[in-house]
Amino acid sequence: MKNHPPTVYIVDDDEAVRASLRFLIRSVGLPAQAHASAAEFLAGYDRRDPGCLLLDVRMPGMSGLELQQELNRRGATIPVVFITGHGDVPMAVEAMQQGAFDFLQKPFRDQDLLDRVQRALARDAESRARLAAQAEIRARLATLTPRETEVMQLITRGKANKVVGAELGVSQRTVEIHRAHVMEKMHAGSLAELVRMVLDTAEPTQNP
Amino acid sequence: MNGELQALLDACVDAVIIIDHRGCIMTFNRAAVRMFGYQPAEVIGRNVNMLMLTPDQQHHDEYINNYLDTGTPKVIGVGREVGARRRDGSQFPVSISIGRIDGDGPPRFVGFLHDLSMRREQEAKRLAAEESVREARERLTHVARLSTMGEMTTGLAHEINQPLTAITIYAQAAERLAAQPSPDLGELVGALRQISAQALRAGEIIKRLRDLVRNRQTHEELLDLNAVVRELVVLAESDARVNNVQLVIDLAEGLPPVLGDTIQLQQVMLNLVRNAIDAVQAPGCERLVTLRTVRVAAGVEMSVSDLGSGLDPAIRDRLFEAFATTKPAGTGLGLAISRSIVEAHGGRLAWRPNLPRGSCFHFHLPAVSGGTP
Repeated sequence: MKNHPPTVYIVDDDEAVRASLRFLIRSVGLPAQAHASAAEFLAGYDRRDPGCLLLDVRMPGMSGLELQQELNRRGATIPVVFITGHGDVPMAVEAMQQGAFDFLQKPFRDQDLLDRVQRALARDAESRARLAAQAEIRARLATLTPRETEVMQLITRGKANKVVGAELGVSQRTVEIHRAHVMEKMHAGSLAELVRMVLDTAEPTQNP
Repeated sequence: MNGELQALLDACVDAVIIIDHRGCIMTFNRAAVRMFGYQPAEVIGRNVNMLMLTPDQQHHDEYINNYLDTGTPKVIGVGREVGARRRDGSQFPVSISIGRIDGDGPPRFVGFLHDLSMRREQEAKRLAAEESVREARERLTHVARLSTMGEMTTGLAHEINQPLTAITIYAQAAERLAAQPSPDLGELVGALRQISAQALRAGEIIKRLRDLVRNRQTHEELLDLNAVVRELVVLAESDARVNNVQLVIDLAEGLPPVLGDTIQLQQVMLNLVRNAIDAVQAPGCERLVTLRTVRVAAGVEMSVSDLGSGLDPAIRDRLFEAFATTKPAGTGLGLAISRSIVEAHGGRLAWRPNLPRGSCFHFHLPAVSGGTP
């Protein structure tokens, strides 16, 4: 993974609006990258790059909404803040339904925009941290042997060692050894912690 | 004069005046009395030039003498329109035909006079009617333009909102910068420059808009059609943007000037562009509209083509008829008015299929040689 600092990506076909947004974002010390079209942005964007996206809802060629759909299709999680014109409320609603982070109507106060950008960046950092943690847990899960995995699944459902031993046809002592290995490999300090790890990774494994 | 002849003359609708070879009035019938307001007794024996206007009044005696000397008729047998004077001094137009009466002694002359005041009035009425038709057409053209602009409000509001948004952002960011302990003056100046450039841009859009909305008389001048297209694109692009359509501008170099009215030609182009934008809204159409100018034998051609689904053959024939429309909210006047504008410019507006698909509306204007716009 390249190590980009979180960047505010701006996609607007109006050169003046685009340049002014970049100017504003840079004036508060955030890196900003401006693109004139959805296609231009997609060509240079890697979904692993952190940041947020300021997106004009109306653009010739691929519209803002279509770009959002494309990002969803590619599994990109970058938060999108839509910028809309006066009569564009229905479009803004549609964007929100498709999972946009927020929207702003033109013209707007700079503070409103910067607040939304900061929140979007925080959201992105949070979700990236969560994804990284999940990836780490999944990596640990992958180191368990099949028997350890069976033991882990049963004990995280709240079954006592004795019951687990009976279900797997092994001694309680054997279960205890497997259980110790699981706790160690998963870096879990307690059963509660192990349960949380399993829950955290449950959703992505159902929905890769 | 015998009674029968007098009765005959009095029954005439036109004035009949007989004069002798010196120009003195001998006979003045009833219609002449009605026309001039003199009684026969007041005019008999007096020179007929009392009924005339300058310069005929001064020269009438000469006319008669010339004719008697040379025998060459100027008015006799030809007839002409002249001005006449009533007893009360008022003037009126008459058509006059003159005949020569031969008999014993010097010739006499008979004049038949027909009052043209009524005909002149009708003529004036006809001209006024034509004028009001022309005015009505200009008003209709203006209303059509307003209605087009009305349909474009969303796009235009958006187009003006763009520079306003940029100005707002630059101003606020500049304020933020200026509040820093050691602000970068170069950055600040850059922001200020952008603010004025964008304010001018907004002003330019409003100016174009006002030009189109203003009610005005036709104003023809030598034009560079490319410049007319480029000015229009400022407005048309807003509409295109709102409808998520891309405009492609393809203008030929070195076109000869044409004679025309900028606003009316832009109205035609705007109408064609709006139709084209509507045409590519159908699902599965590539949202591309091309505005093109080319040199053609007949002058300069301007065309607007789309990649829509083309025209139903059933409506092709009625395309330019007033009130023929396929749009739910259409007035059906756009193309009819556009065609009449183009024809008033000596050109022709027509439709042809666009390749590989869609429609191409095109018109040409005759080139004006020997002048630059």
